[in-house]
Amino acid sequence: MRVVVVLRLVPDLTEELEIDESGTDIDREWIGIKLNEFDDHALEEAVLLKEGSGATVTALALDGEGVDRMLQSAIARGADAAVKVEHGMEHIPDQRTAAAILAGAIKELGADLILTGVQTPEDVFGQLAPFLAAHLDMPTVNAVGGVSADGDNAVDVRQEYSGGMSAILGVTLPAVLGIQTASQPPRYVSGSKLRQAMSAEIATLSGADAGAATGAEITGLQEPERGDGATMFDGDAETVAGKIVDVLNERGLLGG
Amino acid sequence: MPDRPILVAVVLAAALAISGWRFYRVFRPVLSAPGEYRFDELWERFVGVLSNVGLHKRLLKIRYSGVLHALIFSSFIVLFTAILQAFGSGLFPGFSLAPIGGNTWIAGAQELFTVLILIGLGMALYQRVVIKPKRFEGSNKLDALLIYALVFGVVATMTLEFAFHIAAGDDSSAAWRPIAATIAGWLTAAGFSGESAEAGATFFYWAHILVILGFLIYIPGSKHRHMFTAVPNIFLRSMKPKGTLPKADLDHPPIGVQEIGQFHWKHKLDMLSCTECGRCQAACPAYAAGQPLSPKKLIMDLRDHMVAVDHGHSDGVVDLVGGVISEQTLWACTTCRACMEVCPIHIEHVPKIVEMRRTMVEDGRVSPLLQDALGKLQQYGNSFGKPPRQRAKWTKELSFKIKDARKEPVDILWFVGDYASYDPRVQRITVKVAETLNAAGVDFGILMDGEQNSGNDVRRVGEEGLFETLAQSNIDAIAACDFKRIVTTDPHSLNALRQEYGAFGGDFEVLHYTQLLDELIGQGRLKLARGEGATVTYHDPCYLGRYNGGFDAPRNLIAKAGYTLHEMGRCRENSFCCGAGGGRIWQDEEGITERPSENRIKEALGLGDATLFVVACPKDTVMYTAAVQNLGVEDRITVRDVIDLIEVAQA
Repeated sequence: MRVVVVLRLVPDLTEELEIDESGTDIDREWIGIKLNEFDDHALEEAVLLKEGSGATVTALALDGEGVDRMLQSAIARGADAAVKVEHGMEHIPDQRTAAAILAGAIKELGADLILTGVQTPEDVFGQLAPFLAAHLDMPTVNAVGGVSADGDNAVDVRQEYSGGMSAILGVTLPAVLGIQTASQPPRYVSGSKLRQAMSAEIATLSGADAGAATGAEITGLQEPERGDGATMFDGDAETVAGKIVDVLNERGLLGG
Repeated sequence: MPDRPILVAVVLAAALAISGWRFYRVFRPVLSAPGEYRFDELWERFVGVLSNVGLHKRLLKIRYSGVLHALIFSSFIVLFTAILQAFGSGLFPGFSLAPIGGNTWIAGAQELFTVLILIGLGMALYQRVVIKPKRFEGSNKLDALLIYALVFGVVATMTLEFAFHIAAGDDSSAAWRPIAATIAGWLTAAGFSGESAEAGATFFYWAHILVILGFLIYIPGSKHRHMFTAVPNIFLRSMKPKGTLPKADLDHPPIGVQEIGQFHWKHKLDMLSCTECGRCQAACPAYAAGQPLSPKKLIMDLRDHMVAVDHGHSDGVVDLVGGVISEQTLWACTTCRACMEVCPIHIEHVPKIVEMRRTMVEDGRVSPLLQDALGKLQQYGNSFGKPPRQRAKWTKELSFKIKDARKEPVDILWFVGDYASYDPRVQRITVKVAETLNAAGVDFGILMDGEQNSGNDVRRVGEEGLFETLAQSNIDAIAACDFKRIVTTDPHSLNALRQEYGAFGGDFEVLHYTQLLDELIGQGRLKLARGEGATVTYHDPCYLGRYNGGFDAPRNLIAKAGYTLHEMGRCRENSFCCGAGGGRIWQDEEGITERPSENRIKEALGLGDATLFVVACPKDTVMYTAAVQNLGVEDRITVRDVIDLIEVAQA
């Protein structure tokens, strides 16, 4: 089974985000970037499939700053190969464009199963997996919480429903899956493995022209408005903690 | 008896062969172990043997045990002359120590030390059976009692042999043997004389020989091996600085120790030398906290496994981690070094634990909390998961503009550390250190976001690859600056920069800030306003005190600031770890019955008059402040950093 796992770098939300001059994007000049958490789970699931049923895993990403390092750490995790796709854009505008370029690369690589994260902080509707499936003309299941191989041509996937129910779906390959959680939490990859992978070779593909496949365009970006119902406390941790205690006291919510 | 020499020779040869074979079987794993160079600094090594064996330096720290050991140990040396006499005369008729005083002063010494060894044995027996120190829990009591019985047998048969000789009329040494002579008097009264007394002497001669040889045969399988291994084990101890861990070869996995055979020969000699005295167990904060770690049991378990594997009795157990030693046991260690500091034969517990932790980290067998901390360290270079750009955010509180040491030359490069930079509970202290240095006119600067976690605890968690990455990043950042000396707030950073970075190309002169302040006061550059003179106690941080010898500077500062120091019982080298070291601060508290930090606060409260609990480590501030709150004793004692006591005199 050939598994391709699509990885994306996203803004690190531990930093304070600011809107740039254009008013349609965050200021990416100083912002930290990290592997999208759901993609991290997709990668883990791919490596588990490799360990469980002998799949080969290729980590795939669109080229950009920090991508080499991200792909190398995917190799440290257990991916067999890493490929980045050149696209000539400064910033990928949306998932539909990304899917168009990635689909071309996946066709070139050949894959039985494509995994990616269900969503990113910038793709909260989880569009990448369905867009990829459309481009590749494959079935897709999104919000998957665990994949197991069922022979060479099918997988069983778990999908969580509301109310604590989860369904097991049999999916015939090839298919695209949007992963919400891996079957087990992403493993710890030691510093020594990361260091070894620093010299791992990353193959490059040149991406097809995305052409007219543009997605939704952001016309404006703004910080959340403060609602009237909420009181925001300013100040350092100690001051804020003091204010919280005061409020709890006022409302008689503290025992004793 | 013309055939005695042959009989003695045959019996001796047989016993030596059996004992030798048993020794060989026990030591075989040492002979086939990986190499380790321990033959440098021979004079220093010799001096260490003299003080630790000859003067019982560490043994006497527990006075009762030290004294009884000294009695038995010295008697063994003196009574060796009797053994020499017994075998010499047995093998070579006519052999005698008489020409050099065998019937006079040597005989007298043998009598004297017979009494001393009996006192020692009595004390040992009383300790083992009546006092029963907790540190003996888990030790092999039967083994100890058997040894006492054998030693008693050696001495008793010897004395009775001499007594029968005297009763038989050979009184050449009787004047120097008051005890044997007295017993001889009883024997004569009981009717022994002439031939019957000669027969008694012969009987006890053989009994003496056989007990000695029995002892020799028994020893290879007993903790009493230490009679032979203690001296070499101390002589071959690690001479590296205390805070330097052995490197792991990252380019040639496996990293760490998975199987017993991978421990180098000195680790194995340690295991075979352990006397099961339990001093390590009594000093261990993890053991005191109810966690499943006893340094003594760890060494014993490794030893038993090593011998079992060699003898083919290991029941297929190969993995050390999870097989011989549980993961919880290995994670419980705070790497505080208390065990190594008290071990009379210098066993190295902590490096063994770190080697096995390396295996767990490489396999990804880490707890979720630890994984989270290590992941943050990989991503951000600090365990808080805060952006590097926020590292110097605390400097906004300063009354002056702090220098960026990367951009301009400074006299002192201040390595601030993670906790001092990011933890809101510690930033107050960091600001005060900065203001004090500024008031003293020190030309200093920091690395700003160029600084990362020093990696001291990362290395001790067993994450060697990440440690090297962090160390290299810091070394590169430091080496690019123009400075004379480095100062750290955190003793853990102090240890990494001073003792660990050298092996990676970072040779720097590194001070703890307490040492710098003490120096500034000595030079008259920093003048203090005397404080209100409260009585305080001081907790030695492991990595400032035991690991780096920084005992005096904090005490000098406390005194110079006008405070009275009331020491806790466990101070200086015997300080009791707060429980945060070795990466424990990133782990959960599962299995802990009493937090070491709370145990320690209770000790301080027991002093009665100490109102401040003074520390010199950011992690201590965090740990002990929490402990005081948990115990609900905020009204009785307050945790303060040394810097909090320092008030600069107004000019």
